Amino acid sequence: MKDSLKNVKYIEKDKILDFIKVLQKDYTVIAPKKVKDFVLFGELKDNEEPYLDFLNSRQSPKEFYFPQTETIVEYEGIIDKRVPKFSENDMKKRIIFGIRPCDVKSTLILDKLFVNEDYIDDYYKRLRDNTLIFSFGCNNPKTTCFCASFECGPFSEEGSDAFITDIGDKFIIEGITEQGNKIIDKLPDGDGGMLKKKKEIKKNSDNVVSCIENIQKIPEKLRGMFENPVWEEISERCLGCGVCTYLCPTCHCFDIQDEMIGEDGRRVKNWDSCMFPIFTLHGSGHQPREFRFQRMRQRIMHKFNYYEENFNIIACSGCGRCVTECPVNIDVREILEKIKKL
Amino acid sequence: MIKNSYIPIPVKVDKIRFETEDKLIKTFDLVFMDKEEEKAFRYYPGQFAELSILGKGESPIGIASSPTESGFLRFTVMKVGVVTTALHNFDEGAIMGVRGPLGNWYPIEEMKGKNVVIVGGGFAFTTLRSLLIYMLDKKNRKNYGEITCIYGARTPGLLCYRDELKEWEKRKDMSLYQCIDWKFGAEGPIEEAAVEGWEPINLKEPSKTKIKKDIKKFTAFVPQLVSAVKPGAKDSYAIVCGPPIMIKFTIPVLTELGFPPERIINSLENRMKCGIGKCGRCNIGPKYVCKDGPVFSLKELEKLPKEY
Ligand SMILES: Cc1cc2nc3c(=O)[nH]c(=O)nc-3n(C[C@H](O)[C@H](O)[C@H](O)COP(=O)(O)OP(=O)(O)OC[C@H]3O[C@@H](n4cnc5c(N)ncnc54)[C@H](O)[C@@H]3O)c2cc1C
Ligand code: SF4
Ligand code: FES
Repeated sequence: MKDSLKNVKYIEKDKILDFIKVLQKDYTVIAPKKVKDFVLFGELKDNEEPYLDFLNSRQSPKEFYFPQTETIVEYEGIIDKRVPKFSENDMKKRIIFGIRPCDVKSTLILDKLFVNEDYIDDYYKRLRDNTLIFSFGCNNPKTTCFCASFECGPFSEEGSDAFITDIGDKFIIEGITEQGNKIIDKLPDGDGGMLKKKKEIKKNSDNVVSCIENIQKIPEKLRGMFENPVWEEISERCLGCGVCTYLCPTCHCFDIQDEMIGEDGRRVKNWDSCMFPIFTLHGSGHQPREFRFQRMRQRIMHKFNYYEENFNIIACSGCGRCVTECPVNIDVREILEKIKKL
Repeated sequence: MIKNSYIPIPVKVDKIRFETEDKLIKTFDLVFMDKEEEKAFRYYPGQFAELSILGKGESPIGIASSPTESGFLRFTVMKVGVVTTALHNFDEGAIMGVRGPLGNWYPIEEMKGKNVVIVGGGFAFTTLRSLLIYMLDKKNRKNYGEITCIYGARTPGLLCYRDELKEWEKRKDMSLYQCIDWKFGAEGPIEEAAVEGWEPINLKEPSKTKIKKDIKKFTAFVPQLVSAVKPGAKDSYAIVCGPPIMIKFTIPVLTELGFPPERIINSLENRMKCGIGKCGRCNIGPKYVCKDGPVFSLKELEKLPKEY
């Protein structure tokens, strides 16, 4: 019987640091950490334990493949003699430990944009190729979570190398990919009782997490809605602060900027936001998205129609960050429900 | 060096000249520092490149040279903001970078065996020059039917490539019609030559203008001149590049002449950064102008939201 459980391992909760130390021999471990009142992902230092008693992190760990600021090239010297310098150091492999299924789903969504047959973003690809994912099931989905709408869910294993579940006194870790299995191989084997516990927890989570029914119909619905007056209504309160896009694990828009200190400089990719007018402003002064409603329309259309048209997947995983952090309580779930009814 | 799509290829600014009399537009000929890079840079008329000045930034600029002219890449650039001003301040010999070739190109394959009508306005003639040079190339000319070019600017001194225009005027294997804007009085345009030698067309009813055989320079707005010249739509493609207002008024004229939307071709501009469909900046609906464009047929544009 034990054989069928060879991919299921467990760790006592008070042994978690020992396991992290084993991982750190070969990998940089990125895990949730408590930073003041928030939980954020960061690299674990020596003897640092991950903080696993959280619902979700304030920011998704997307910055570990798509950093907020990332150097493209460096250069020096006078302006009309500069040539790009680019060096790629060997990179230690990384494990993102404790990432929630919605954020894993978002990673899979971003993969389609950054690595495809048209062009490859080599910076993204390198970080992504060197990262393993140990995702973490959600025992207590937040009221703002709606991951179940998107072929995801609090216990979705898609995209994980190994999957962690909190079953009270222990974590069970299930190997999903070959690499994941290899890494957890030395942990003690789990048993049927543990899996049964997980099943119950999962069932409960699946029951409480919210789901926008028939979300797959939204892209088609939006197709003819570009000129609909609803966009003005939806964006009435919007301040254009851009928080929703910065916190979104699938937003991928960026700017390219040059930064100089004396005669040394670097060119960087910086996160940017379609909620800002300068995003589309031409040098000539022409502005294709003059009004806030046009920018809101772009955000919703991009996620729920354009992205789906280009990559066959909606660019949302239901993490709910835009819902919790919008200063004027604009709720994308309400927007989608409204669109469905039109 | 490891190749990736964000890293500019070093080039040297070989020649610089003023293109227009207002001195706001300059043409730059760039040569690759590395022959291998030059060979790898295979492009077609209509494509663009990011001109890269380390420390200032990058600007997407249409490639004005034709792949049939080897040894240099040509760009004609208006001084607008940060990057283009830095470029205008360069002297010959400066080192800079290019990224590309980017985007799609004019339908040079589909147009084989067809007539081609080029309609250009102002300094947006850059990639049209590339196309024209390409089609007029000895090896390529036989592949295309009649070539008609209608090109206008506000004044004669604002036309680009004036030396070449003089050569094209003389060619037997193409027809070139040039125009400059009307002079304005209190009541609007005045129906007379704005500059001597630039024959006024019929202002009220441009299509009634009698085009005399050896007159090829007119006082007219570009859309009016198209309507006066009446290029045949049968088996023809129209390639239109210019300021938005010119495009707006030219399209109905072409449509009236019988050009179907799939044979009216435009090149669009949007603010860009990455040029490779990643940074999310240049989309019109689901299409990225940088990667799926900049060349679109009117038929394709009709399917997209009017957000450009
Ligand atoms: C496909 C394409 C072809 C073009 N071809 C030509 C050409 O042949 N000749 C020419 O003079 N101009 C051309 N332009 C316009 C040219 O790109 C802008 O005028 C130029 O980027 C302005 O840069 P700047 O730094 O001087 O201006 P700033 O206003 O300082 O702009 C800052 C940055 O914003 C971006 N940006 C601003 N305006 C535009 C714009 N209209 N289009 C794209 N990016 C913009 C650029 O990255 C630019 O570096 C073309 C644009 C596109 C999209
Ligand atoms: S967070 Fe809210 S207020 Fe800010 S841009 Fe997004 S929708 Fe508008
Ligand atoms: S310029 Fe970045 S997506 Fe087109």
